[in-house]
Amino acid sequence: MMVVDVIFYAFAAVTTLAAIGVVSSRNQVHSVLFLILTFFSTAALFVLLEAEFLAALLVMVYMGAVAVLFLFVVMMLDMDVSDLKAQAINHLPLGLAVGAVILLELVVVLSHSHAHVAAASTVPNTLAIGRTLYTQYLYPFELASLILLVALIGAVVLTLRERKKVMRRQVISQQIARTRSEAVELVQRKPGEGA
Amino acid sequence: MTELNQLIQNQGLALLGPQWWPLVWTLVWTLIKIILLITPVMILVSYYTLAERKVIGYMQVRYGPNRAGFWGILQPFADAIKLFCKETLIPQGAKRAVFFLAPALTLVPALLMWAVIPFSPELILADINVGILYVLAISSIGVYGVLMSGWSSNSRFAFLGSMRSAGQMISYEVSLGFTLIPVILLSGSLSLKDIVNAQQDMWNIIPLLPMFVIYFISGVAETNRSPFDLPEAEAELVAGYFTDYSAMSFGLFFLGEYANMILVCFLGSLMFLGGWLPPIGLLSFIPGIVWLAIKAGFLMFVFLWIRATFPRYRYDQLMRLGWKIFLPISLTWVFLTAVGLHLFGKV
Amino acid sequence: MAVQLPEMNLVLLSPEILLSLVAMGLLLMSAWSGKESRGLIGTMALSGIVLAAVVLAGLSSATPSATMGGHFIDDRLARAMKWLLLIATALPLLMSREYLNQHGLDSGEYYVLTITSLIGAMAMVSAGSFLLLYLGLELMSLSIYVLAAYQRDQLQSTEAGLKYFILGSLASGILLYGTSLVYGATGTTLFTAVANAIKTAEHVSPVLVLGAVLVIIGISFKVAAAPFHMWAPDVYEGAPTSVTAFIAVMPKVAAFTAFFRVLLEAFSALHVHWAPMLQLLAVLTLAVGSLGAIAQSNIKRLLAYSSIGHVGFLLIGLTTGSQLGHQSVVFYLANYIFMSVGAFCLVLVLNRQGIGDQISDYAGLAKKRPLLAFLMSMFMFSMAGIPPLAGFIAKLYVLMAAVKAGLLTLAVISVIFAAIGAFYYLRIVKIIYFDVAEQPFDMEVSLSHQIVLAISALIVLVVGIFPGKLLDWSLASVQSLL
Repeated sequence: MMVVDVIFYAFAAVTTLAAIGVVSSRNQVHSVLFLILTFFSTAALFVLLEAEFLAALLVMVYMGAVAVLFLFVVMMLDMDVSDLKAQAINHLPLGLAVGAVILLELVVVLSHSHAHVAAASTVPNTLAIGRTLYTQYLYPFELASLILLVALIGAVVLTLRERKKVMRRQVISQQIARTRSEAVELVQRKPGEGA
Repeated sequence: MTELNQLIQNQGLALLGPQWWPLVWTLVWTLIKIILLITPVMILVSYYTLAERKVIGYMQVRYGPNRAGFWGILQPFADAIKLFCKETLIPQGAKRAVFFLAPALTLVPALLMWAVIPFSPELILADINVGILYVLAISSIGVYGVLMSGWSSNSRFAFLGSMRSAGQMISYEVSLGFTLIPVILLSGSLSLKDIVNAQQDMWNIIPLLPMFVIYFISGVAETNRSPFDLPEAEAELVAGYFTDYSAMSFGLFFLGEYANMILVCFLGSLMFLGGWLPPIGLLSFIPGIVWLAIKAGFLMFVFLWIRATFPRYRYDQLMRLGWKIFLPISLTWVFLTAVGLHLFGKV
Repeated sequence: MAVQLPEMNLVLLSPEILLSLVAMGLLLMSAWSGKESRGLIGTMALSGIVLAAVVLAGLSSATPSATMGGHFIDDRLARAMKWLLLIATALPLLMSREYLNQHGLDSGEYYVLTITSLIGAMAMVSAGSFLLLYLGLELMSLSIYVLAAYQRDQLQSTEAGLKYFILGSLASGILLYGTSLVYGATGTTLFTAVANAIKTAEHVSPVLVLGAVLVIIGISFKVAAAPFHMWAPDVYEGAPTSVTAFIAVMPKVAAFTAFFRVLLEAFSALHVHWAPMLQLLAVLTLAVGSLGAIAQSNIKRLLAYSSIGHVGFLLIGLTTGSQLGHQSVVFYLANYIFMSVGAFCLVLVLNRQGIGDQISDYAGLAKKRPLLAFLMSMFMFSMAGIPPLAGFIAKLYVLMAAVKAGLLTLAVISVIFAAIGAFYYLRIVKIIYFDVAEQPFDMEVSLSHQIVLAISALIVLVVGIFPGKLLDWSLASVQSLL
C-alpha cells in the first residue's frame, strides 16, 4: 500500500460521501456545504493526478467564487425544500434511468476510448495548459472572453434599476475637488449677537 | 544525525515490517515537519497580538499590557489560559455542527498557506512549482469560515456581519489576485522560490510600486482589518460574524485572523520586497531569513500603524474602492507589464 | 522557451475583430455618455455593421482554408452566410430604433448585445470545430436571451427571456453532451478530424451515433424544429417586436450553417443515420408549423408558427444530401430573411399601444392604407409560396431537390402542409381586404421603416421574377461542401 493510494482512497471516499450528503441532507445550506466539500476533495484528487493547475482552478473558481454566491443565495432564501423533496421521489425512476444510461455510456466510451494518457513530460502542466490555450486554442479562448462580457452586460441590463430619487449620493471626486473658499465661510460675529 | 535516522529506520522496519513502515514513516515525518512549521507561526501570532497592543498603546500615549511578566511578555499566555478556561456558549437555535466547524475553517486555511512559504532558499515545507496559485486557492476558502459562523449563530448581528465580510473578502480577493499577476509575469514562474530569485537584480517593488500599494491595502481589506473592519464594526454589529462565539472557538477566529495578517506580510515581502535577498550585495553575510523577518516585520508594523491612524470606511466606500479603483488600475497594470515585457524583449 | 504558434491569418477574421471593437467601443460610449447620444450609438452600430460588410467584401476571394488552429474555416459558404447574417442584423436594427424610442428601451446595451450576437453567429458559420460551434452558439444565444427580456417592466418579455434562457441552456447542454460523446469516440473536436476518424474506423461506434443525434437535437432547438419548438411562440410573442424580428431570422441562418458544417463536414459518413432523423423532424416541423398556426389570433404567435413551417422546408432541403438541396437551403434562407423582416416591419409599423397585436386589428387596412395592405399581402403570399414571388421559387427548389433525391413522399407531404399553411396566410389577406375597418390606421411610416419595407418588398418581388442571380450565388456558396 503506497502513501498515494491511502490518500487517494481517503479523498475518493470523502468525495463520494459528500456527494451523497448533497442530495440527502435536509437542510439546503448543509447541501451546499457538502457540495463545497465535494469540490475540495475533487481538487485534492486532481493534485494526485499531478494536475495542480486544474486543482487550483477548481478551488479558486468553484469554491472561492461560484459556491460562495450559491451559499449567499441559499442562506438568504431560507426556503422549505421538504415539499420539493417529496415530489422528487416521484421522479426517482426517471432519474435512475437517466443515471443508468449515462453510466452505460461512460462504460462504452471508456472501453472504446481513443484518448491517450499524455506521456510524462518535463513541462509542468500549468505551463503546458498555458501554451496550448494561447496558441492552439487562442480563438476559442478569446471568444469565451466575449461570452463572459455578454453575461456581465446581461446581468447589469436586466437587474440594474436607476432610482430617480437617490437620497444622497457621495461623489468622492467632487468632495475632494472642493476648495476651502467653497466649503467654509468665515463670519465675524460679536459676542452676544448670535447667528 | 544520519545515525539517528538510521536507527529509527531500522527499529521501525523491525517493528512494523517492510509493508507498513514506509507508509507510517512518511506520515509521521510529515507530521513532524508540520508541527515544526506551525509552532513558530503560532508563537509569532500570539506575540503579534501583544505587539499590536503595545504599538497601539504607545501610539495612543499609554503603556499597553505590562502586568503579566516583564514588560507584559507573558500576556499572550495569560490570554490563552483565559480563553481555554472559559465556558463555550452555544446560542439557542444554533446549528451545532456548522457552528463548531466554522472557527476551524477560518484557522486551518490560514495555516495551510504557510506550507508553501519559503523562509530561505532551503527552508520550505513544500516546494511546489505553483506556490502562488496554491496560496490564492487556499485563501479563497477562508471566506467559508466567516459565512458559516454567521449563518449558524442564528443571530442577525452575526449574519449581517458575515454577509458584509464575505462580500468584502471576495471583492478584494479579485484585486489582490490581479496585483500578483504582474509579479508572476516578471518572474515567469508560479513558484515562490523562483519569484524571489528573479528579484536578484531589482526588487519587484520598483517596477510595480502601484501594485504593491494596492496589494497591501487589499491585504488589509482581505483580512478584515481596520480601516476595513466593517464585518466587526462594533458600533453597528457588536462583533460581526463572531458575535456569538466565546472561549476557544472565539480564540480560533482570532488566531486565524492574525495568522492571515502575518501571511499577507510575508507574501508581500516575498512577492515585492525581494524575500530573503539583502538590499545590497554587501550585506549578504546576514542570513536570508533575517532579511525576510525584517521586511515582514516592517509590513506587520504598518498594519498596526494603519489601524491606529485611519477611521473606518463606510461599506459603499469600501466596495467603490475595490471595484471601481483597484480593479481597473491593477488590470491596466497587468496589461502594461505584459506590453513592457514584450517591448523590452524579455519574452 | 520558444512557443510554436499555429498559423494565424487574422486578416480572415477582420470582420469579426472589427465588430468586437465596435461592440466594446459602443459599450464604453453608452457608459460614459448621456441620454442625448443614444441616437448616435444606434447610428454607429449600424455603420459598424456596414463597415464589417465592406471589410468582408474587401477580403480576397475565398479559397477554402482553415486557420487559428483549424477552428476558423473560411470558404464560400462562410462568406455567403456572413453576408446573410449582416443583412439579417442590419435590417432589424434599422427598423428597431424608433420602436425602442417609443417604448423607452433605447439604451446602448441593446446595440451592443445585437452586435455580440452577430459576432457569435459569424463565429458559428465559420466554425471548424465543435468547440467553436458551441462557443459561437452560446455567444449568440446569450445575447439574444437578454434582448428577449429587454422590456423588463413587461411580464411577457421577462417570461420570454426566461423561457428562452432555460430551454436554450438545456439545448446547449444537450449539444455539449453530444460533443463530449463525439470527442470520446474520436478523440478530437475538429470537424475534419472527426470525419477522418469516422472514415478510418472499422465500424461506426454507437457512442458516436448517439453523440451525433444529441448534437443534431441541440441545433434543432435553436432553429425551433418540432418537437423542439415549444419555446418559439411564447418567445416571439413576449419579446419586444424589434427583437422578435431579429430572433426570427438571424439565429436561423447561423444554425442552418451549423447544420451544414456538422452534417456535411463532420458526419458526412453517417448520412444513413442522420437523414431519416432529419426527415422525421422535417415532417413534424411542417405539421406543427401549419396546423399550429391555424388557431392563432396573435400576429406574432402566428408568425412564429409560420417560421416553424419554413424551418420544415429548410430541413427537407438539408436531408436530400445533394448539391441542389443545399443550394435550395441557402436560397430559401436568403429569401426568408426578407419576407420575415418585411412582415415584422409591418407589424412594428401598425402596432400602437397594444392595438395591432391581434390579427383582427388589421381589419380593413386596405381601405385606409392601401399601400401597407398591399405590402402585407405580398409578404403573406410570398410566405405561402404563391407565384411570382420569391417564396414560391424557394419552395419550388426545395421540392425539386427532394424529388430528385427520391424523397417523393416527403415532397408530397410538404406540399400538403404548404397548402394548409396557405390557408392562414390567406386569412390575413382576407381580413385586411374584406373586413370592416375598426382602427383609424393613422400612423406615420418613418424613413427607416420605409427603407426596410422597400428593400424587403423589392427583393421579394425581383427575386420572384428573376431568381437567376441569387440561385447562382447560392450554388456557388455550397460548392465547397461535399
